[in-house]
Amino acid sequence: MPIDINALLKSLEATGLATKIRESVFLFPMIESTHVIGLALVFGTIAIIDLRLLGLASTQRPFQRMASDILKWTWAAFAMTAVTGALMFITNAPVYYHNFFFRTKMLLLVLTGINMLVFELTAGRTIHGWDQAPSAPPAGKAVAALSLVMWIGIIFMGRLIGFTTSRAAVAPPPAAGVNFEDFLQGTPNSSGGTSTTPPPNK
Amino acid sequence: MVKQFAEWLSTTSPSVFIQNHNGWVIPTIQSIHIIGIAVVLGSVFMIYLRILGWAGMDQTLRQTTSRFGPWLTGGLYLMLATGVLMVIGEPVRELVTFSFWLKMFLVAVSTVFAAAFQVSLRKHEQRWEETLIKRRSIQGLAILTFLIWVCIIILGRLIAYDHIWGPWSPATKA
Repeated sequence: MPIDINALLKSLEATGLATKIRESVFLFPMIESTHVIGLALVFGTIAIIDLRLLGLASTQRPFQRMASDILKWTWAAFAMTAVTGALMFITNAPVYYHNFFFRTKMLLLVLTGINMLVFELTAGRTIHGWDQAPSAPPAGKAVAALSLVMWIGIIFMGRLIGFTTSRAAVAPPPAAGVNFEDFLQGTPNSSGGTSTTPPPNK
Repeated sequence: MVKQFAEWLSTTSPSVFIQNHNGWVIPTIQSIHIIGIAVVLGSVFMIYLRILGWAGMDQTLRQTTSRFGPWLTGGLYLMLATGVLMVIGEPVRELVTFSFWLKMFLVAVSTVFAAAFQVSLRKHEQRWEETLIKRRSIQGLAILTFLIWVCIIILGRLIAYDHIWGPWSPATKA
């Protein structure tokens, strides 16, 4: 029996938890802030490891020592972003699910996972040979460079989701041929105007 | 007065340019700003972990700050540059908020803290490595300053939701 994904998304959105987050003034901004703190630590710590693999920083320190020092924090921070990300997702599940940037971000996350697996199967197997060397063998360097590029992509996609999924942004466009002057006049508050609907999360 | 300045700034040509290319310029600047945050938070995090003895114990404190200090400074400059661009692009959204000014105050506080720490470490290197780093008060201070960085990130996000401050937010007084 095929799963009706749209019904599932709608029921996620209708859960008590999702409703509670949507109706609260504080919850969504706080969850989003926690997501940013988590991702800053994920990317910050992964970059330290990747730069070490590339031979661009911390080249004097044994790789394994650094990995065991740092990666547990990366995983803790990643768990933080996963939980907060899921909480944001359920508040507006059908819209996020069909959003191009959300899908691209999820795809990039899967690719970073595969990238990690590739590392384990290549440079990870010979780690004892290069642990003290200033950089990893070519396969390890390639994984590190890809990791940096993909994580930067994930950050960009994440921010674009906020610009394309808020209730204001997904509302039907006013008319073809939008003139920017119309937006600039009107209310001086560019982030939401005077209505009672929450401003877009940009 | 801030509001008048913000409204004037929004009529200047750099601001109008960003507004006219709003679709991609603002998200791009914000994303680079977030990458800056990651560099800053990652760097201070490693220094705090070293002070607390939770990571990098094969390195001295001085080695740790030499590794991450320049990245912290670089990240702060990147954030300053992209932050200025965001203010130019959306002056009213940024400047006419409570969150923005509280954030700027905390940024000033933590930058002074970080600079004072660097200067003190350079002057009293041995004392830092041998005794100061083990002191409870120093470790408490490290946790406190890390929490200030966390608050800075929260306030940065709250600029978009300034109405949650209620009467404290100038944005709610239309």
